[in-house]
Amino acid sequence: MNLTIDKIALLLGMSLMLIGLWGGFTQKNLLKIILSFSIFDTGLNILIVALGYLPGRTAPIIDGSAVTPENLALVAIDPVPQALVLTAIVIGFGTTALLLAYALKLNQHKKSLDINQFTDLKW
Amino acid sequence: MVSPFYILIVGLGLGFLLGMTGKKQAALTNMLTLFAMAFFTGVSLHWIQGLYTGAFQPSMVFSAGFKPPFSISLFLGMHEAVISLMINVLGLISVWYFREFLLRDSKPLGAVLLVMFMGLNMLVFTRDLFNIFVFLEITAISMSGIILMNDNHHAHAAGFKYLLASSLISAFYLLGAVLIYFSTGSLYLDDILTMKSAFAPMALIAVFLMVIAIVIELKPFPANGWALDVYEAAHPGIGAIVSGAVTTTMLFLLNKILVLGSDKIYLLTASVGALTFLFSNWMGLQQKNPNRLLGYSSIGQVGLVLAILGMKPVLGDGVEMIGFGVLLTHFLAKAGLFWLSGTVKGSSLESWAILRNNPVILTIFGIFVFALSAFPPFPSFYAKWELIIGLSGTGNYLLIALILLGSLFEVIYLFRWFGIVVKAESEESDSGIEWGKAAGPALFALALLAGGYFARNYLSAPDMMNFIPLVAVVVLWVLDFMPAWAKNTLLLAMVGIYSWFYLPQYSDYQLIFGIIFMAGAVLTLLYGYSEKGKRPGFYPLTAMMFAGLIMLVEATTLFGFFFAWEVMTAGSYFLILRGKKSQPHALSYMLFSFGGALLILAGFAMAHAVTGLWTLDALVMDSPLSPVIFIMLTLGFLTKTAAIGLHIWLPGAHSEAEADVSPMVSGILLKAGVYGLIVLFMRMGTQYIGGVDLMVILSWVGILSALIGNLMAAMQEDMKRLLAYSSVGQLGYILFGLSMMSNLGWLLAISGAIMHFLYKTMLFQAVGGVYSRTHDRMMYRMGGLIFRMPMTFIVVLIGIIALSGVPPLSGFAGKWLSFNAVLQKEYYLQGALAVLAGAVAFLYLFRLIHAPFLGQLKDNLRKVKEASLWILLPQYLVIAVIMAVSTVPGLLLERIGKLLAKTFPDGGLLWVDSKIPFGARTAISEYGYWNGTYVMLVTIGIFGILLIVQLLMQRNNKKVGQFNIVYSGERPSTPETTHHAYNFYAHYSKALGFLMVPLAERFWTWISERVHDIAHQLRQLYNGNGQVYLMHIMFFFLVCYFLINGGF
Repeated sequence: MNLTIDKIALLLGMSLMLIGLWGGFTQKNLLKIILSFSIFDTGLNILIVALGYLPGRTAPIIDGSAVTPENLALVAIDPVPQALVLTAIVIGFGTTALLLAYALKLNQHKKSLDINQFTDLKW
Repeated sequence: MVSPFYILIVGLGLGFLLGMTGKKQAALTNMLTLFAMAFFTGVSLHWIQGLYTGAFQPSMVFSAGFKPPFSISLFLGMHEAVISLMINVLGLISVWYFREFLLRDSKPLGAVLLVMFMGLNMLVFTRDLFNIFVFLEITAISMSGIILMNDNHHAHAAGFKYLLASSLISAFYLLGAVLIYFSTGSLYLDDILTMKSAFAPMALIAVFLMVIAIVIELKPFPANGWALDVYEAAHPGIGAIVSGAVTTTMLFLLNKILVLGSDKIYLLTASVGALTFLFSNWMGLQQKNPNRLLGYSSIGQVGLVLAILGMKPVLGDGVEMIGFGVLLTHFLAKAGLFWLSGTVKGSSLESWAILRNNPVILTIFGIFVFALSAFPPFPSFYAKWELIIGLSGTGNYLLIALILLGSLFEVIYLFRWFGIVVKAESEESDSGIEWGKAAGPALFALALLAGGYFARNYLSAPDMMNFIPLVAVVVLWVLDFMPAWAKNTLLLAMVGIYSWFYLPQYSDYQLIFGIIFMAGAVLTLLYGYSEKGKRPGFYPLTAMMFAGLIMLVEATTLFGFFFAWEVMTAGSYFLILRGKKSQPHALSYMLFSFGGALLILAGFAMAHAVTGLWTLDALVMDSPLSPVIFIMLTLGFLTKTAAIGLHIWLPGAHSEAEADVSPMVSGILLKAGVYGLIVLFMRMGTQYIGGVDLMVILSWVGILSALIGNLMAAMQEDMKRLLAYSSVGQLGYILFGLSMMSNLGWLLAISGAIMHFLYKTMLFQAVGGVYSRTHDRMMYRMGGLIFRMPMTFIVVLIGIIALSGVPPLSGFAGKWLSFNAVLQKEYYLQGALAVLAGAVAFLYLFRLIHAPFLGQLKDNLRKVKEASLWILLPQYLVIAVIMAVSTVPGLLLERIGKLLAKTFPDGGLLWVDSKIPFGARTAISEYGYWNGTYVMLVTIGIFGILLIVQLLMQRNNKKVGQFNIVYSGERPSTPETTHHAYNFYAHYSKALGFLMVPLAERFWTWISERVHDIAHQLRQLYNGNGQVYLMHIMFFFLVCYFLINGGF
């Protein structure tokens, strides 16, 4: 199997997602959990970009020579996934910020960042 | 026409703007938020009006004039407009509800609320799959933001778990949305729909990912621990938003995306929903915190809607309306309950008892509880009916069982709560309700009633019902401020007028039971004049029960019958709950009745599926399912007649009810079950299962009820409990008679039903009269009341002679009939037991007259007066009737016999003229003859002679003063042991005690404990750890994935 750039990116994205998930499930520190989620998000974004990349194509900029409106769909890469990823990154940022705000509040109350400390509500 | 984009613009714009205003402009911020939310609501209303009048067409709006995929597309049709109206009204009320926070805090709550509701609206409108991701995240983030603004650290922990879960869920969704784009080249839902038939494997996975993400958003079992904490800890206003607005949006969204899914995905959704409904309600049984309880209930209800939506490939597009009925009820009731929760201080179920200090608030709470339990006339009732009919028509019996079991669990905890609120000890006398906060619940309660009114239009069954009896309920509710005597007169007049116009229209069995119910209403209401004060709430509830009873008699359709059955159950539950110590008994009454009603519903649905008819004649059938339907319906009716094994609710419910409620629920209400059995047996006849005649089994159930009920009655020390157990016995006789399926058997049963109505009404009233003077029900604390209450004594005496079957009164006719019927049917063993049971009946009846009325007059009863006129009047009316039908039995029996000849032409009594001039007729059976008038005359003659002899001999008697006996100057410390009537039948108890082991009670207690144990074990899943909740989500996801791709 040829390890082309898109395949490497795919593998990287998936590995980051798995690492993120593993961290999210096993780490006990709130900050590490949040960090794991960021890694997971990043992996997902890389995966999406990698899925959208087609080898041998160029950027979707109509410059009149290599890319024209007529051959756009054949030679250029679809820009929509990248646009989606941009949005997803922004949203991920918002989520992370809010998670950190929660961690701050939780730490203020119990002076701890251990997720096992916050199980007062159950059943 | 206002473009829905303005909601986006106003929401986002004001949201950002308000984020910048400081604390000083709090009032302005508050007002702007309110205006913006009102604007959202206005847009929804504007569209609904336009679409309704036809001024607008359902339309698609694209952003910036581009076509997809380069633009966002919003679609607005009637469905979208209605859902957005629901959300926006809730938003408007929420802003009002939160106004003290908005005015007090510097936190930008208003801004976040606006952004959030904008997001919810867009989720409803948008047709763009990536757009859905964006707005999902916007609502999740703003929701977490609102939770973060709580000052409660529990809420912070809950919010953290919520946000973690949301992130994972939206990652699933995002992946799905991107994959569908790669597979189909579009994100526009309508484009993708056109390609559905040619989906590549990748597109299938993408659809699965998107659907499962939204399903997890809807908190399926077991991946829902993260949501429960939010319900429990966050401000109740947030609970209302999550439970009402967010779930409504998500369900609508799911319905939108599910169209892309295969039948497998629908089936998965339905299964997940049904299991969630079952388990969530099951775990709700163990909840002590009201908000967490509401959380479990919310999750359960949403599960039910999921299940309904998932049945679309099977049941067709009609499921959307059914799902909407359940959703609307859930939306209004749950939001209302969460808002009410905000006015209650304290976090125990008992703390809600404060609500009862205000009748309006208590009514609102009652409406929510009854609506959630799917009682008529709320939308959920119609939805439940349609759902079960539909499922049964397609043979989905397992799903029916799951859903019915789940709704039974839900009713258990809801009514336990309701009972606590109405009855629990509470020191607070002030309701402390802030009217501003109660406005929302009040509005939503009204909306529930209105929704129920409109829901009727969507009924697939013909709805030929006479709703006039329900008018009485409404009228009395409105006039509840009047004094009791006025309402009593009003209700009596209404019963009289109704009977005058409608009773003549009835025939056959309808007429017999119509007369029992209406005459019963008059007899019990006459007693009501003895009550002083206002008796708030009593009359509308009484009217409700009698309305249900009369509608039951009038019902000609399956739906009408079930509707009336539920109205009657609701009314009688309230009446029983009014007793001082009746809360646990009312609950067990409700549970048995509700369980029975579910069986009736399922049985009706299956009968309709077999025959395709909507009338009660749907029960006339010959199909392999008939025995099953027969058993379900019989069990359902037997819960009401309290056959042995299903009787444990009765003694408490009948004895703890108020004095004039006891005769209503005993003498009258039990006959509803008898009527049901008659309706059933007439149409289904004898059924066999594996060659066994089910009627023979029923005859044994009947005879055992008679024997054990009577034995239990004989061992009671409490007068009302004695009468209550006696009902178990009497209804056993009636069941025994019906099960014979012969002319004489039914004659026995129907005349028995009429007689039981008369005796039990009279005796409960007599005992009520005694209680009204002595304030005691324990027989061993009484004695000698014959001196103080001779009129009541006579009533009890007559009642006892009549009931025990001694000539000359009508009870003897019953006994004579039963012997004839038994011989004819050759039920010798049952017949022998019936004789034994009759002997035992005499034992308990003897106690009832012996202990309180005979013997020495007790010191504390020395000044007791005779019961009041209004209490005695109905009793003597009954005596007049008993004397009439005893002297001329043909009046009753011959007429019933004629009616029965239509069903059972052979084996009836033959009536011939006798030599007595005034038309007394002799009844002739295969085995003998009997003339009630002769018997009466002979008995009177013998008694007259004996009386004269005794009067002559009494002249030699010497009177002994009551105090010739002393206790050596000591006062006994345990009065019951010095009363000769205490534990009167100890010797029988020794001999026959093995028959009275409370097996049924132990069985049901055992069931209840196991059910609660399992609930406790199940909820251990939710151990409070956010990471574990994430694993639940992952686990749930993987299981669903393998179910879909591994094949079912």
